[in-house]
Amino acid sequence: MSDNTPSPKLRLSGVTKSFLAPRTGLSTLAVAEMSLDIQTGEFICIVGPSGCGKSTVLNMIAGLDVPTAGVIQKDGQAVTGPGADRGVMFQDYALMPWQTVEGNVGFGLRHGTPGQHLNKTQRNQRIAHFIDLVGLRGSEHKYPHQLSGGMRQRVALARLLANGPDILLLDEPLGALDAQTRLILQAELLRIWGETAPVTERKTAIFITHDIEEAVLLADRVVVMSTNPGRVREVVTIDLPRPRAGKARTHPRFGVLVEHIWSLIRDEAYRAIGGDESLAKPTEEATA
Amino acid sequence: MTNMNAGQRAAAWGRKLVLPVLLIAAWQFWASTLPTGSPAPAPLKVLQTLGDLLSTGSLLSATVQSLGRVVLGFAMASVLGIALGLMMGASQAVRENLDPIIESFRPIAPMAILPIAILWLGTGTPTALAIVAYASFFPVLINTVHGVSRVDRKLVLASRTMGISRWTILTRVVLPGALPSILLGTRLAMGVAWTAIIAAELAVGAKSGGGGSGGIGQMMFVFYAYNIDLNAIVVCMAVVGVVALLIDQLFRLVEKRLIPWKA
Amino acid sequence: MGMAMTTSAGSPVLRSYRTLWVSLRSFAVFFALWWLLHWWNGNPLQLPSPLKVFEALWGLLREGEIAEHASVSTLRMLLALSLSILVAVPLGFWMGLSRRAEEFIDPLVEMLRPISGIAWLPLALFIFGVGDTLPVFIMFYVGFFPILLNTVAGVRQTDARLLAAARTMGIGRWPLLVHVLVPSALPTVMVGIRLAFAASWAAIVAAELIGSPTGLGFAIEWYRQMLMTPKVFAFILAIGVVGYVCDLGLRSLQRRLTPWADGTGASS
Repeated sequence: MSDNTPSPKLRLSGVTKSFLAPRTGLSTLAVAEMSLDIQTGEFICIVGPSGCGKSTVLNMIAGLDVPTAGVIQKDGQAVTGPGADRGVMFQDYALMPWQTVEGNVGFGLRHGTPGQHLNKTQRNQRIAHFIDLVGLRGSEHKYPHQLSGGMRQRVALARLLANGPDILLLDEPLGALDAQTRLILQAELLRIWGETAPVTERKTAIFITHDIEEAVLLADRVVVMSTNPGRVREVVTIDLPRPRAGKARTHPRFGVLVEHIWSLIRDEAYRAIGGDESLAKPTEEATA
Repeated sequence: MTNMNAGQRAAAWGRKLVLPVLLIAAWQFWASTLPTGSPAPAPLKVLQTLGDLLSTGSLLSATVQSLGRVVLGFAMASVLGIALGLMMGASQAVRENLDPIIESFRPIAPMAILPIAILWLGTGTPTALAIVAYASFFPVLINTVHGVSRVDRKLVLASRTMGISRWTILTRVVLPGALPSILLGTRLAMGVAWTAIIAAELAVGAKSGGGGSGGIGQMMFVFYAYNIDLNAIVVCMAVVGVVALLIDQLFRLVEKRLIPWKA
Repeated sequence: MGMAMTTSAGSPVLRSYRTLWVSLRSFAVFFALWWLLHWWNGNPLQLPSPLKVFEALWGLLREGEIAEHASVSTLRMLLALSLSILVAVPLGFWMGLSRRAEEFIDPLVEMLRPISGIAWLPLALFIFGVGDTLPVFIMFYVGFFPILLNTVAGVRQTDARLLAAARTMGIGRWPLLVHVLVPSALPTVMVGIRLAFAASWAAIVAAELIGSPTGLGFAIEWYRQMLMTPKVFAFILAIGVVGYVCDLGLRSLQRRLTPWADGTGASS
């Protein structure tokens, strides 16, 4: 699908993943022949019903899992394992309980590859900068168990950014938060990602969510996946203007896009909760 | 191991046995290098002694005697422990007042009570029973109290709104709810009791000059101090271990039967 | 806690005063009952009055005899516990990380574990004789298993997510072990150490009672044979107090090393 656009930041070619159940010996096809190109600075959201393989795809991009077939390339090089260039933010934060906020944000800088070329002062400065960026100044010495869900998520975000990855992988990062906190953090995320900055200064981001409105709000393109096996159903381009924070939800195209995506997922979502598919047919009422 | 074929399973068993077999073989080798009159225990001699002791019936009767005391002492302690535990769990007042005393006795090991028990009860079965009961009491009590505290209070409140009496709530809501913890406590207590009886019989045997108390522990002491036979001591140690395992397995089985609703 | 519908009194300061008062009251009742029993029993050799016991306790403290025996026992305990930790923790890490290692070693562990430390006394007496080594050996053996089992459990229970997160930060194998695995397993290991201490402290009494010429366990037995019952009681009290204080020390160590863990779970 590439014309004379620059080579994609991330390319998935025919990526397939099947799992072997240890007890029964049966194999399940989680992801089937997924191909996708993602450009530098793009914000991609992946949505789909439960079990469509969204997290599996993310894990493979992160290098935590290996495709059964197909290849994932970043900057033209095949992905072979995890690394600080592809930072991950997990749904349950994955903060080290024995480290303070400061210790967590600086964890990768101090013990991993990101901070190797920095000296101690530079590292501390970087840590302080990102703690400030996510609005947690003053809480540096608190432990995760002393923080609220929203604060923990911000620590995870600060840690992710402090490690300076060029691809951000976010696995339902706001899923465990209450609705209001979620709204706040969505705006924060857009700001930090660089919505108001030129495209070249934005990081590439892949964001998994169940919340369709969230996906439409955040993404440049939304990858809609179907389940059993997981594959790309459609890639929806979100042509809403940026910056979106505060304005997108009232844009006339917003609701249309959300409905369109939902229509792609609806029947499978019903099936996922063990419901009757006939309920999935929308009632034929006149809509504007 | 269900998904392995026969060959893999055999290999797994092989790996499990390698270290013990190797050690026993090394032990036998070391023993065989000693002069023939040496009292040191050797695996082959141990097996021989096992056969002797079994055929005379002394091993079996000693084991049964020890077990009998354990069961009796454990039963007494459990009844008291569960009853008291339920009361303490149900009533803040009872718990507050008894807690300081109980917590003070907890660090005092059962064996520390032995001299007092000997002073009061002599050097026979009553003393052994007392030690076992003392040892079993605390795990049962503590786990019962813990179990009661973990009963979902909403269940209790729901019962009250249905007009169920306090006593029925205790026996029909609290007791079943606390049962997993209580059973854990009894399993631990039984394990502790078995250790305690061996220790008590050993010590009493030592203090009473080798007579009177009976049981495996005392038998071990006799083989140490009178009819010195290290191989027999090893046999006794093995029996102690095997019985401990059996007791633990038995209690786990009972747990599964009594608590089918537990994951 | 429990089913009672009462709510505890307001501020924490007030609550701790109240706990103190209730404790004192309970002890007062306890001593009163003791004294009554003593008076009813009439045999000072069997059940001395609480006053006599405190008198003996005071005398022994003043003469330094309690300190002498207590320090002997405590030092042995510290040595044994250190040895148990030194052997069991690395072994536990190895077994927790390597399935093969666990397959080979676990059967041996599970065969030895049911044989209580006490059952080793006669054989150990033969090998080591009466003296210092015997109690230390028994305590080492008794303390070894809880620490080993808890270390393996601690390693196994490490949140896989944390390891995954660390790998996505480019953290290599050894730093992963040191900076993620060890801190993650530490709370469970500390619980194991406290369990090991409790078990060893109980075992030391038996070991010293039978096989040592010094120490608190020896002292109880010695004074029993001399029929000096108040001193027997006094030493028993000392055993309890030292055990309690050591446990407090361990608990505070636990809090300092692992401030993020809540570390509870009754099953002692």
